[in-house]
Amino acid sequence: MRVGIVGAGTMGRVHAAAYRRIGVEGLAAYDVDPVKLADFASEEGAEPFTDYPKMLAEVDVVDVCAPTFAHQQLAEQAFAAGRDVILEKPLALSVAQGEQILRAARESGRRLFVAMVVRFFPQYRRARELVSRGELGRIGVVRLKRVSFPPAAAWFRDPAKSGGMPVDLMIHDLDYARWLLGGPRRVFARMSRGDRASALEHVQATLAYDDGAMVFVEGGWAYPPGYFRTSLDIAGDKGLIEWSSDQPVPLDTLLPKDAPPPKLGLPMAGLEENPYETELRHALSAFDSGEPFAVAPQEALEALRLAIAVRESALSESVVEVA
Amino acid sequence: MRIGIMSFAHLHAEGYVQNLRRIPGVEVIGFSDTDSERGRRFSQAYGLRWFWTHEDLLAERPDAVIVTSENARHRELVELAAQAGAHVLCEKPIATTVEDALAMKAVVEEAGVRFMTAFPMRFSPALQTAREMVQSGELGSVLAVVGVNHSENPKHHRAWFAQKDLAGGGAVIDHTVHLADLYRWIFDCEVADVYAEVSNPFDPEVDTDTAGVLQLRLQNGVAASIDASWSRPAEYPRWGHLKMEILGEKGALLVDAFAGHLNVWRKTAGRSYEWLGYHPDPNQAMIRAFVKSVAAKKEPSVTWRDGFEAMRVALAAYVSASEKRRVDPTMLR
Repeated sequence: MRVGIVGAGTMGRVHAAAYRRIGVEGLAAYDVDPVKLADFASEEGAEPFTDYPKMLAEVDVVDVCAPTFAHQQLAEQAFAAGRDVILEKPLALSVAQGEQILRAARESGRRLFVAMVVRFFPQYRRARELVSRGELGRIGVVRLKRVSFPPAAAWFRDPAKSGGMPVDLMIHDLDYARWLLGGPRRVFARMSRGDRASALEHVQATLAYDDGAMVFVEGGWAYPPGYFRTSLDIAGDKGLIEWSSDQPVPLDTLLPKDAPPPKLGLPMAGLEENPYETELRHALSAFDSGEPFAVAPQEALEALRLAIAVRESALSESVVEVA
Repeated sequence: MRIGIMSFAHLHAEGYVQNLRRIPGVEVIGFSDTDSERGRRFSQAYGLRWFWTHEDLLAERPDAVIVTSENARHRELVELAAQAGAHVLCEKPIATTVEDALAMKAVVEEAGVRFMTAFPMRFSPALQTAREMVQSGELGSVLAVVGVNHSENPKHHRAWFAQKDLAGGGAVIDHTVHLADLYRWIFDCEVADVYAEVSNPFDPEVDTDTAGVLQLRLQNGVAASIDASWSRPAEYPRWGHLKMEILGEKGALLVDAFAGHLNVWRKTAGRSYEWLGYHPDPNQAMIRAFVKSVAAKKEPSVTWRDGFEAMRVALAAYVSASEKRRVDPTMLR
């Protein structure tokens, strides 16, 4: 199966590395910036295409790792060319856009996999298994945290291009909350910002459910460069799960701190199991076999709807009712 | 490939059965155990055929066996298996005396079967990466290594672990071999000498040691240590841990091989607070490697020699503790 990566940025590289490790050969790559594309192609061992339709003609699957504002056009062109599509999260900038992408997939008869990678992190999977087996009893309060430093690329900082932090980053935990408990009844969120130049942004959101369960989600681009923390805390009437990225890892390296800080915060992938590999192996195998995806496109759309509701609540400082 | 388990005396047998069942093409033909209570219990628990004698199991002509008896009985079982033409994966420590270990080597060589020592930590991705970083020189010259392999007292699971005649000792022979093997493997050299303090501060009811601290000099000059104690209480949220800190001139590596857990509290379970691991079990990769080496007719990546040298470090610790001097393990014959 030949894969063409669109977007020679950080996620494109993360995916390229994962494809290499799972034995996918003959990667193709496209980017609007020919200089970035050339670097990417030589460093990642991909065949560069400066023309998107030409790449579409050569590959079986298109993996869109381009900025969010470009998702719709890139995905629709790929479907029109008869290609299956992997789309980096978030699905789109708006629910309407997301619906159009889903419709384009349906009408072309091709398949869409939205890469919600947190669903492939072993600790998040294991925690959900315990919850779905009923080992914690009835779930009362869930707390989810994901706080990074502001990404370096300018488009992230422009909500018109990235959807802003709730849509770009917090969507992971909003999707996880939905995966655990389904959709909430209402949300309330508050946003804190640094000065314009700093791009610091931090959101605290509460999701409320009809049965009294609640999920508190903290997300942010608010830490100094290099720091990225995530955690989960799931409390039921029969049990409790705590996990935090602050906990010890199997291998920690203490080397001189002279390396430049990273450009984009990513949760740490363990040596034992790289979630990006698990995710892409799953997607390719589902394309191949026709099996359903672990994350249906509709779920990615619902996560986006919830993320936008969180953003609306934060901006309006009011309670937002959701389906 | 048809594989049998020789004895369920060691608690690892239970995990190995599940590891084997996850490998396509492997059939677990059953297990032998002369203890009828264990035989009935585990036959029922795992849906396994139970053979009352080891000879009966071997009469089924397994391609390979896993020897998970009490340590002191490894020799007898390995001899039976080798004579029946079965390849052997042997639980650690491979024996409790130099004499037994040498006899095992002789019989497997004579029979032309392969022998692998069960050192699962070599299959931990964290330790594999640590080894690569040391060997590539990324840490610069290594100065020191500090290792701990703590656990609860295993007698609560199997009494023989704290019986000298069956286990060959207590905490020191149980735990030393893992870190001793990792040091040999990471630095590609033998242990030059061992100084050890060994005692029983934790359990007056048993006649074996429950604590041991070893200081080693490796042949490459690195100063290394091992805490092999059964010093974690039964209420500890996991059986214990294996940790290693490697200090080099350019940096340090902190290995906590079983890190990666959810903290779980349950109202119903016996142990109300637990660390529940979410990373793959290194035993699975080890069992897979054993199956692969048998299928490919290749020497396993962990050999009799590895089991033997690690065992000699543990035995040297006991000699050192009783004679109050440094002991060269390679001089134990």
